[in-house]
Amino acid sequence: MIVAERKSLEEIRRTIAPYERVLIVGCGTCATVCGAGGEREVALLHAGLRAMEARSGEGWHTFLEFTVKRQCDAEFLDALVDRVREVDAVLSLGCGIGVQAIAERFPTLPVLPGVNTSFMGMAKEWGVWDERCAACGDCRLAETAGICPITRCAKGILNGPCAGTKNGKCEANNEMDCAWVLIYQRLEKLHRLEDMRRYYPPRNFRVIPRPRRIVSKAEVAVGGNNG
Amino acid sequence: MQSFAIHNLENHHLARPKRAAEDHSLIPPCQAACPLHMDIREYVSLTAQGRVMEALQVIRSGNPFPSICAHVCAHPCENACRRAQVDKPVAIRALKRFAVEFGGDRMVECEAETTHDERVAVVGSGPAGLACAYYLRKLGYLVTVFEAHSQLGGMLRVGIPKYRLPREVLDTEVERLARMGVEIRTNARVVSLDLLFDMGYKAVFLTVGAHQGLRMGIDGEESPGVIDGATFLREVNLGLKPSLGERVAVVGGGNVAIDAARTAIRLGAREVNILYRRSRAEMPADDVEVEQALEEGVQFKFLVLPKKIRRQDGYLKVNCVRMELGEPDARGRRQPVAVEGSDFEMEFDTLVVAIGQAPQMPGGFGVRVGKGSTIVVDPVTLTTNRVGVFAGGDAVTGPATVVQALAAGRQAAGRIDDYLQHRYPKDAAESRETLVGDLRPETIEMIRRIGRIEPPALPPEARTADFTPIEMVYDWEAAVNEARRCLRCGAGAEILFQDKCASCLTCLRVCPYHVPYVDATGAVRIPADQCQACGVCVAECPARAIVLRRPYDRRQVAGELEHVLRSAAQTKPRPLVVGFCCQYGLFGTGSLSDLWREAGGSIWLVPVLCTANVEAHHILRAFEMGAEGVFIASCGEQCARENTEFWVRQRVEKARRVLSEIGLEPERIEVLVPSDHNGSTAAEQLDAFAQRIGTLYLASILMQEVRS
Repeated sequence: MIVAERKSLEEIRRTIAPYERVLIVGCGTCATVCGAGGEREVALLHAGLRAMEARSGEGWHTFLEFTVKRQCDAEFLDALVDRVREVDAVLSLGCGIGVQAIAERFPTLPVLPGVNTSFMGMAKEWGVWDERCAACGDCRLAETAGICPITRCAKGILNGPCAGTKNGKCEANNEMDCAWVLIYQRLEKLHRLEDMRRYYPPRNFRVIPRPRRIVSKAEVAVGGNNG
Repeated sequence: MQSFAIHNLENHHLARPKRAAEDHSLIPPCQAACPLHMDIREYVSLTAQGRVMEALQVIRSGNPFPSICAHVCAHPCENACRRAQVDKPVAIRALKRFAVEFGGDRMVECEAETTHDERVAVVGSGPAGLACAYYLRKLGYLVTVFEAHSQLGGMLRVGIPKYRLPREVLDTEVERLARMGVEIRTNARVVSLDLLFDMGYKAVFLTVGAHQGLRMGIDGEESPGVIDGATFLREVNLGLKPSLGERVAVVGGGNVAIDAARTAIRLGAREVNILYRRSRAEMPADDVEVEQALEEGVQFKFLVLPKKIRRQDGYLKVNCVRMELGEPDARGRRQPVAVEGSDFEMEFDTLVVAIGQAPQMPGGFGVRVGKGSTIVVDPVTLTTNRVGVFAGGDAVTGPATVVQALAAGRQAAGRIDDYLQHRYPKDAAESRETLVGDLRPETIEMIRRIGRIEPPALPPEARTADFTPIEMVYDWEAAVNEARRCLRCGAGAEILFQDKCASCLTCLRVCPYHVPYVDATGAVRIPADQCQACGVCVAECPARAIVLRRPYDRRQVAGELEHVLRSAAQTKPRPLVVGFCCQYGLFGTGSLSDLWREAGGSIWLVPVLCTANVEAHHILRAFEMGAEGVFIASCGEQCARENTEFWVRQRVEKARRVLSEIGLEPERIEVLVPSDHNGSTAAEQLDAFAQRIGTLYLASILMQEVRS
């Protein structure tokens, strides 16, 4: 799941400044699950902005709110068609993908991000989210006992642990587990400790050509008898 | 499942909104167990909030004579109460008594208009007859009640001792009935139903009760000094003072036996024994009454059965045999079996036989009589074999409870109405489901234990001198605390918008009772029979897909807040301080309300059902509307739930963060607890908080002036 975090009210205030009527749009999928941009956060941001306007004494914005099922699919954005007619800008609480999807769907509408898209991760417990995947496009989890050193090691090294590990914690943050110690312990449980002895050649650090695209449909010619 | 049509018809004179269509709550076990189908959860909840007049309104909408039930109801609701699975059932009857007394039931005026020409005769003025008369009158019929005795009430008057049901209570209800326009004819024993029809009555409700004491059928039962329980109680209740002698025995194990024994004690008997052929566990009498009888000095001789009575030298020599419990019968009650050769003799002055009663039907009625000389009726329509003659109450069921009789009376009123208006009797089906099932052990584990508070009663030695009522009414605090024990079964949370649910599992992670779960298909479920209606998941669900099942609960915080903000806007208090207060705890018991009055106009309280229902945006809304400070008065250790303060502080921190982002001091939001770490009370904390807000307010005004 994509994890995001609300931007500061000050930043949001600056970005919405030119627009009088602003529609706050939540996303009912990842942004809801990570507690950054679901219907509840939309309501909270709305209340916060209104309070800010009221207290500053110079409020002239009007806000509307709406939450769609998922911002990153154009079909779900059809629900916004009537609503965006009445506003000057959209403040999206979806991830960066959602912001762009709305921008693509409504070519003449200013779309502003209300959250910072932070990482891909999961809930550790209620209210705590941890990064788990860097989307590096070259998954090595089979060799590292299902624990990703790219995201969970501060250095992202493939042959750990480094000398900075101490009592199972990382030198960069002594509250953070050393990913390589975790990998060692889990390999031990899997009776595959010999995997620790192997040398893993460096990853391909060449810049990934962006934007990436995956085509899963086959190229087929329709109409002939296809051979 | 009977006569809900009446239940709704009954509402018209009370300003009580009809049950909204969006109410998804389930019928709780207490309500399902009540013959009158009273909305117990609702009035207990209102009592817990201190809204006692509204509680009484709910009670009156479902019960024609709440003050009577408040004293003598056998409370099948309490037997069904699921709180018993945690500690002890909620003291529902005592709470009803509180609502009746403190809500001013005495003042309630019932009105009825005559809208029909048909006249109906009610034969017998016990609870069933009175209830039937009440509801028929409400429906607009002319009703006449015929009573053989000199006063109305039936068993309420001649059966139930005065120490349990003060006669003023009964008189109040009877007077109210008379003021509604019910014609009352006392000392009027009906001997022929034909006569009633000849007099112009179009329908008759037979409710003659079961006053004929059953006999044991043993030798010597005719001896002077042997009396049946019903007759004994009738004589005493009608003002006679039978001379009992010093040693009295009562045979039987039901409520009548207990009543007779306790009455005998009050009449001055030195030694009162109850002879019962089974053991204490099998006794059908109410536990509390057995307990009270013991306190008053009644002695119980279990597993004893009289075999023969002899009168000798002015005494009764009672030959008894010891019993032992054998195999359970069809109803699961273990059958007593005589022990061979265990005969023994006891000596008494008086023997009261209270082993049951049966109806006594005058021959002229011509109604079909079945087992135990009870009248045979159709269970749905309550019709007898005679056209236009309906029957209910003990005369149909055999000796039963007051509340069953009231329900029969209400049912009869509806069916007589159907009959007179030529309608097919509707079986008004209840659309809501009934909650079934026990609490799971892991849920029970998490429910805070709060002991049941019994209403105060006179000490045993003060009771037995006369027939003074022995039970007193709760004080305000005890009632609120007792009512707070209600688990609000069936009124919990539900995922109303399944399409919104992102399956984030927040509800599952925040539930203090481990109620939500993921089912085999991967969907999140909140089982209605386990939810404790604390509202934490409702306030935390990031998709806002969860709501409380009752519409009122859903809108409560926002509704009250807007109300307060509107009122505050009109009076323009400066600086405005808004406080969310637990309506059950601090506020409900009045400890904050005094302070609120003293604090003058600037502090405005928003009563909430539980402070865990207050969300960050509610707090911010107050600031938007001009509040200079907001506090949440958490009930702390008083709370009926665990962890409420944790959730309150979570919401406060969330709001504080936003507050500091918009340039206001986070300390403008405060959590008050009944007693903080310095030992200062909520009132002292509020005082300090209000001063702080005053200072901040002055500072902000100065800043503004400096700027301009």
